Amino acid sequence: MLKREFKVNLKSFIIWTSVLIIMFIFVFSIYPFIVVDDNIKNFDEMMKVFPPEMLKAFNMDITSMNTVYGWLKSEGFMFVLLVVGFYSSFMGFNILLKEEDEKTIEYLESLPIKRSNIVTNKIIVGITYIILMVLTLSVFNYICLCLSGDFNHKQYLLLSITPIFIGLPFFAISLFISTFLRKTKKTMGISLGLVFIFYILNILSELAKDVEILKYFSIYTLADIRHVITKVSINPVCVIISILITVLFIGGTYIKYNKKELV
Amino acid sequence: MSKYILEIKKLKKYYGKSRGVEDVSLKLEKGNIYGFIGPNGAGKSTTIRTVMGLVNKTSGEIYFDGEILDTSDINTKSKIGYLPSEINLYDDMTVKGIFDYHESFYDKDISERRNELVKLLKINEDMKLEDLSLGNLKKVGIVLALMHEPELLILDEPTSGLDPIMQSTLHDILLQENKKGMTILYSSHVLSEVSSLCKDIGFIKDGVIIKEDSMENIMKDNYTYLTISSKDINKIKKDLKLEIKSENDNEVKFINNMDINELLNKLNKYKIDKLLIETISLEDLFNKYYK
Repeated sequence: MLKREFKVNLKSFIIWTSVLIIMFIFVFSIYPFIVVDDNIKNFDEMMKVFPPEMLKAFNMDITSMNTVYGWLKSEGFMFVLLVVGFYSSFMGFNILLKEEDEKTIEYLESLPIKRSNIVTNKIIVGITYIILMVLTLSVFNYICLCLSGDFNHKQYLLLSITPIFIGLPFFAISLFISTFLRKTKKTMGISLGLVFIFYILNILSELAKDVEILKYFSIYTLADIRHVITKVSINPVCVIISILITVLFIGGTYIKYNKKELV
Repeated sequence: MSKYILEIKKLKKYYGKSRGVEDVSLKLEKGNIYGFIGPNGAGKSTTIRTVMGLVNKTSGEIYFDGEILDTSDINTKSKIGYLPSEINLYDDMTVKGIFDYHESFYDKDISERRNELVKLLKINEDMKLEDLSLGNLKKVGIVLALMHEPELLILDEPTSGLDPIMQSTLHDILLQENKKGMTILYSSHVLSEVSSLCKDIGFIKDGVIIKEDSMENIMKDNYTYLTISSKDINKIKKDLKLEIKSENDNEVKFINNMDINELLNKLNKYKIDKLLIETISLEDLFNKYYK
């Protein structure tokens, strides 16, 4: 079953990973032409126009956009976080639910396999592809950065794995929610909604002190890029919370799915 | 070890407020072929899906070989073969692919039986599942249900979509498997389909088993067609108080379940022009139960 699941989900993995790689190829190719002396001055002037809170929200106050690595640390990783978040959520919603939606569950359930083993196989495949996507991007960007110039290797490597800490909770939460659904029809919309709600909550919490509390309601808080940039280490609290959320929702999925009416 | 491979006691299943099955009790003896008969919506598929663990029962008990049925038990599942009424498989796979996939779930080597069935049912293994006609998909489903040689085979409307030749081939295969010891639960809404196959039969109506007996007993349940032609036909109608199937002038065709001697005694006082007693057809018997 595992082999088939890997095969079935390979296409979506390739598509989403390729989207990010193509975007990075594009940025790495054009960035040297953007970052010329005159543009840097203009860019620095432009940055001064933005309020400090906004710069902080995108980590622009602690990174310089003068290099492609600087761009990667601010906007680049935001894209990665959004795409990994969406990919993880979408896969979480669909990986189990599509068996019911396409009515293949009746066949699968007739086989000598426990429901919990069906869930386990799907989870292994989902988590593997999320980690594989993050690692593929990490290696690709590492090679590109090595060719582009000097950068903090340790800082980059730590930064490049942070999307895992949002990907896994997104996957687990979506997987759990999917056990309450019957059709995959609306899962694309729900995944997008979930990702943007959490993203906006995170940005809002950075913009004003009054609403800082919102960060406790966003998965994106767990990708503490700021911590990695400033301290060159991963925030252990975020890792623990990420693992806890993932375990909690995966546990919930097993309980709910074992009792679910499948047709 | 029990005499019965499957025993269902007072099964009730409600989907929210709507009825799936109300009260289903049946016993499926080992080595038997049991015809599970009922019109669409009577609760046949719900009963089967509850047995397969796809839906949760509201109340009641299901036993497999004397033990409470645990559909999460792999060993029990490997002893059951299931052909759903509507077959949905992975469209991206080929026929060979789904057979290989199916085989991978079983510890024993089941390829030999698979090859025999593929030959018998004339299946092209190179075809993609999405390109198969309904009939061919059904044939694939039959192989999947049978290839691991289950102890209990559950078939839900197995012949829908099959041409008469294939229906006959399927019945031959089922009889062969039954001879080897396989117990079969055969669900259908076509009574004549099961009459040549099944030893026991259960009629389900509105979620309730309304009659369960051996095929033999049901057939000799004293139900006959009784055609009488007489000038006293109106008096005879009043006297016999039987259900009328058809009438024409002085001739009436009754559905009779009266003892033959009692019947002759009652008719003795009338002048009868014509008297014909025939075996009732299965379809009429079926309709009689569902009136």
